[in-house]
Amino acid sequence: MKNNLLKSPIMPISAKESQYGVDPSHIKKRVAEMPDMVSVSLKDLFPDLPDVIYPGAEDSLEMLYETAKEEIRKIDMGKIKSGDSVNVLASHHGFTLYGGEPYAILLRAIRDIVEEKTGTKNIRLRAGVGMRFRETEEYIRRYKLDEYYNGKAKGMAPIDPGIPIETEIGTLYGLKAAYDADWIIHAHHTDVREVHFHRQIDKAVKPFGMSYARIETRSTYHQNLGPRAANFIARAIFESNFVQEKFAFAAFLDVGPHGVIGVDADADLYALNDRATFIGCQLYGKVMHLFGKIDECIAVLDFPCPVPYVFSAGVIYANFAGANVDLYDMEKPLPPYTWYTEAFYKKNGKPMLDSIPPLNPSIKMCVHNYAWTGYPSAFFSEMIPTVVVGAEQAELFDMEPMNMTYMNHATIAKSTDAAMEFAYNVTGTDKVIIFDGAMGGLNCSKSLAEFLIEVAPIVSKEVEEDLLPKWLKQRGVDISVLEDIQK
Amino acid sequence: MKLVSIMAKVDKDKCIGCKTCEKLCPVLAIQIEDKKAIIDEDACRGCANCADRCPVYAITMVKREEPFTVKVDVKQFPKEAIDEICRKAHVNPEQVLCYCVGTRAEEVAAALLSGAKTPEEVSSMTGMRTGCTIECIQPMLRMVEAAGNKLQPIEGGHQWYGKTITAWELSDEVKDKYKSKGFFFDEDKELLDQIVNLKLEEGQNEK
Ligand code: SF4
Ligand code: SF4
Repeated sequence: MKNNLLKSPIMPISAKESQYGVDPSHIKKRVAEMPDMVSVSLKDLFPDLPDVIYPGAEDSLEMLYETAKEEIRKIDMGKIKSGDSVNVLASHHGFTLYGGEPYAILLRAIRDIVEEKTGTKNIRLRAGVGMRFRETEEYIRRYKLDEYYNGKAKGMAPIDPGIPIETEIGTLYGLKAAYDADWIIHAHHTDVREVHFHRQIDKAVKPFGMSYARIETRSTYHQNLGPRAANFIARAIFESNFVQEKFAFAAFLDVGPHGVIGVDADADLYALNDRATFIGCQLYGKVMHLFGKIDECIAVLDFPCPVPYVFSAGVIYANFAGANVDLYDMEKPLPPYTWYTEAFYKKNGKPMLDSIPPLNPSIKMCVHNYAWTGYPSAFFSEMIPTVVVGAEQAELFDMEPMNMTYMNHATIAKSTDAAMEFAYNVTGTDKVIIFDGAMGGLNCSKSLAEFLIEVAPIVSKEVEEDLLPKWLKQRGVDISVLEDIQK
Repeated sequence: MKLVSIMAKVDKDKCIGCKTCEKLCPVLAIQIEDKKAIIDEDACRGCANCADRCPVYAITMVKREEPFTVKVDVKQFPKEAIDEICRKAHVNPEQVLCYCVGTRAEEVAAALLSGAKTPEEVSSMTGMRTGCTIECIQPMLRMVEAAGNKLQPIEGGHQWYGKTITAWELSDEVKDKYKSKGFFFDEDKELLDQIVNLKLEEGQNEK
């Protein structure tokens, strides 16, 4: 056993003030601080992960800003004339990655280079959200983007005024505020987040059907086409004449499960999507496959974002709850968790079809030390024994329209220590995985770390030799793109 | 079924009468009078849309002193009538349509059989679409139409605009053009049909 690979825990980002979470003063202890917790570096688990810019040296964020400007400068912006209006389209999730500052830096770099190259000063930031309508308004304030965009920054919610967009599959609806400019720039990232929904199909295109879209479109995605056809909605909107006439280019923060790798800007979104597919399948796919090998554990939620989105090594809790199934394998129609799956549970709590897999049986208990409301999460507490730390968090969930029944199934512990003690006693396992967004590695118990270190080389081999070729073939992506990226 | 335990409250001193809230309330509980928002407390179903979009933060969600439950009893209608609306809308009667509230298709069908004619009336009677208010709008519109109602968006409102494509309407041309890109159109339609056509034994699926 390579015990020298066990390191002290990586302290997660602090609790944040938000209408979606409890006051930070209520978060008295983080699970990473508890005895027997360690961290494992992702580079130690998977030595072939590419080098990262951030986390890194003290000046790494300045380096990222310079890299971003350099990459964006390479784009031909000839069609944007001085005086034209430009909307930089952003999405909430970018701000939850690596402390949020890297994505804010990308948004600043886009603004600066568009002004530098085109002369236009009419550059606006339009930041869409998921289900937390105020979320990007909070980020715009936190990262002072309103000042940076000279007062022209605003959040957009899916219930805001919309516009019809004629597509190959009929009328869909976008947000008016997203498209009220001569040009749009798509500012996104390669983090995989909801693999259960998008299955790494057209992931780079997804915001056109989601954070830049109205409720009608988003509901089409989640209810009308089925779990593996849904992403077509985003492509249909993106390929519409309306969007194509406005689309200038895309600029992505290239991130992996271990940090910010660089910036990728391209006027061809599908070329960028192919590269993002490699990152999603190869880098995140390994962590996802590794987590699928965990046989038993206590899962701890400890990050300022909604229950399903807290993450460990780039994998969100919702995907860990489905890690008993290969989420990248398109032959598997329904992941253990996705809204289509959730919809297909009968009144007696049993799935309608025998082929519907259960939520990850290796999660023996969930300790909800710190996570936000703002996403319907009752399915998790209904299916996985859950203990929530502190009556204040329980109260917040009871008051939130999407989570009125979350606490119907969860129990409350007065402190982090009491919750963990309860979980150890009831489950009998000492393996703990902490979803606290630790940067560069993952926090867990010593016992789980030892297990992960042992199986990582096998996982890496299985992904490279068997799974990755299958995943890419299912997505119609040519493996030669990988060679280009490696160059 | 929904336990309505919170409601919206307006701070009249802050309200600037912009009408944003009125235009997105899914149960039409808000009216603007003398340039101030007035919320019908009995009608509010506690979705927080108004509070979350008010530009001047004039609305807050508060706990109700007397929470109440909205619910339509499915058993008052013949199973065949419920089934007919659901299958026409391409859903299974036991399927969950609203992930936030947990509303199943059969309760929506019962609301429609009880006389609801619009999405707003269904929301008011069942609580459906009073959580996130986003994801269930399409099955809601499909159900309302399947019960024989004409879909008519609220004039000047942004509650919803219209129905969109479903798996049952995708053209072969589109499917052929894009299926090599990783979209499983026919396979997913087959899966959805399997759910729609699944006959669940009455009485055996209650908790
Ligand atoms: S139903 Fe929603 S939008 Fe309407 S008044 Fe109540 S909280 Fe506000
Ligand atoms: S959205 Fe706010 S300011 Fe506008 S009418 Fe409603 S309460 Fe008043």
